[in-house]
Amino acid sequence: MAHHEHTADHAHHDDKPQGITRWLTTTNHKDIGTMYLVFSLAMFLIGGLFAMVIRAELFQPGLQFVDPGFFNQMTTMHALVMVFGAVMPATVGLANWMIPMQIGAPDMALPRMNLFSFWLLFFAFMLLLSTLFLPGGAPASGWTLYPPLVLQTGNAFPVAVFAIHLMGASSIMGSINVIVTIMNMRAPGMSLLKMPLFSWSWLITAYLLIAVMPVLAGGVTMLLTDHFFATSFFNPAGGGDPVLFQHVFWFFGHPEVYIMILPAFGIVSEILQTFSRKPIFGYEAMVYAIASIAFLSFIVWAHHMFTVGMPLAGQMFFTLSTMLIAIPTGVKVFNWTATMWRGSISFEPPMLFAIAFLFLFTIGGFSGLMLAIAPADFQYHDTYFVVAHFHYVLVPGAVFAIMAAVYYWLPKWTGHMYDMKLANFHFWMSTIFVNVLFFPQHFLGLAGMPRRIPDYATQFADWNMVSSIGGFGFGLSQLLFVYIIIKAARGGQKATAEVWDNPPGLEWTVPSPAPYHTFDTAPEVK
Amino acid sequence: MTEELRAVMGETAGDDIRHGLAIELVPNCSLTPAQAFGFFASLCFVSFTVAGYFAAQGLWPVLPFAGLEMAVLGWALNLSLRRRRCTQTITLTEDEVRIVTRDSCGARSMAFPRHWASPRLVRARGWHPSRLVIESHGRACEVGGLLTEEERRSLHTRLQRVVGMVNESPRLQAALNP
Repeated sequence: MAHHEHTADHAHHDDKPQGITRWLTTTNHKDIGTMYLVFSLAMFLIGGLFAMVIRAELFQPGLQFVDPGFFNQMTTMHALVMVFGAVMPATVGLANWMIPMQIGAPDMALPRMNLFSFWLLFFAFMLLLSTLFLPGGAPASGWTLYPPLVLQTGNAFPVAVFAIHLMGASSIMGSINVIVTIMNMRAPGMSLLKMPLFSWSWLITAYLLIAVMPVLAGGVTMLLTDHFFATSFFNPAGGGDPVLFQHVFWFFGHPEVYIMILPAFGIVSEILQTFSRKPIFGYEAMVYAIASIAFLSFIVWAHHMFTVGMPLAGQMFFTLSTMLIAIPTGVKVFNWTATMWRGSISFEPPMLFAIAFLFLFTIGGFSGLMLAIAPADFQYHDTYFVVAHFHYVLVPGAVFAIMAAVYYWLPKWTGHMYDMKLANFHFWMSTIFVNVLFFPQHFLGLAGMPRRIPDYATQFADWNMVSSIGGFGFGLSQLLFVYIIIKAARGGQKATAEVWDNPPGLEWTVPSPAPYHTFDTAPEVK
Repeated sequence: MTEELRAVMGETAGDDIRHGLAIELVPNCSLTPAQAFGFFASLCFVSFTVAGYFAAQGLWPVLPFAGLEMAVLGWALNLSLRRRRCTQTITLTEDEVRIVTRDSCGARSMAFPRHWASPRLVRARGWHPSRLVIESHGRACEVGGLLTEEERRSLHTRLQRVVGMVNESPRLQAALNP
């Protein structure tokens, strides 16, 4: 009886507000997810533009295009925009779109707070980007905001701190929404250990965010009071300690890395099982591995600051605890490989990006292990080796996973298949150029080139030129990504409900594009 | 607010339509209050341990942010849980529309003659959500107060079909199988 009603109701039920007000006032999780994803794509392009300025300046030794002050602003803004504006909002967008569908919930638990957190983020970035036009320019201290350097920022300083507060508030509200949705709105039968790994990874990510965001908020507030209210939290002249800020920052900053990468783990787990046509190998081990990585992320922060001069016991503790992360990460890499083992693998674009993630993220993981060894880190610290390491983790790691997710779920969002040939071309261009861009930076770092400099000694010229060529190629390839998405959104071959060959998960049980309101009746999970 | 969508559609109708159609608005909550409390306490423990450690090092501004964050989380969890206590059953027979509302204050029932009853959606204004009421002869009863806007609109459409407007009594069987 009920089903007759649902069918008849569907036409109306799919009615949605039209025009600009739909996007300004919507509380629908799919609309908000789309807004987050579009916002993050725009920020990815803006942050990429800053990266192009950096790579153009570093194309040759000497100062070519920008003065050193502006170069430092570019490195800082590139990092802040990419971390807080591109990668994090992209994963939040994916969470908004997919978590309610994956757990059988009709929407997020707190839809208005969901919308509020998006607009907070939007205004935070308008503020942050506006600092480029303020007297003294944008912050130029690096995304780490170390005092006393950051206190030399011009008029942008309080604006940037306020923007960071808004971003933090937005992230916290987003996390609270994810936590409450997953904990309290799962469909009947959807126990925690039946949840898809993407939802699991986001639950743990949200937990991490909740734990560390107050530390960042407190840290930047103390910078503000040191600057304007004559406190001395980090000022040695008043009894403070600038190294303490590094502890505060990295207590937030290291889990932040996992906040960006854990959702990527979830995405890759979903994709590998679909295109290997096998269930994920060791589901529970994968969940516990994510949880272990999250726990360990709280006790390794000082490996970012071995060179400040810490006791030997501290160096040993942080070296060993950092190396411990390799165990759960190894479990994940093993399980992903075992999932593909003897699978009936096909190589559609999401799978290509997921496999590239597997290889290239592992390279970033291994260079991380090198950096974890305190005496070795003394040599690598603040060199381009560190730049190569974290870019391998974040670009072919987190960004590739996000691209894989877009190619995986885009037909579900738009109802259209995208241009597979172009997507394959985009994959190969991105993969080749990302390696041309970042792999030589290992050599530069090992040869001693410091990071965050606009000019360098001539012996670093060749690899810098190669790296810049890779950067331009990678940047141009992303325009193709934008074109593919727009083309699919505007039309194309109709996608079926399943889209791929028997993919797992509730999201594939609804039509493509997913109806404005996904589940009329709660799906029963057996 | 949204978890009731499943409930909106959770109607039951007997084999014999003369027994009426019941639309149950029942929130789905995966957590029991005890589980929610345990979960919230574990989050508080982690957050305040971290903030307390930094406060002990002299970095006390971390504490108020942790407190604020936990307060918002507690409010959000409570808001989500509170709905499990609130249910509504709209029972339709050929003659009557009966609404039974159960919440922390107990159960209340209100009945309208179906022929003269009509559902009315009062549009959302500003921060105020829309309100869906069933009214007749100067009396009104709000239904679906905990639903989202979209869900409330959906319920309104359904009620229009099965209850009809004033001076209308669409046959239930026909309304269910248009």
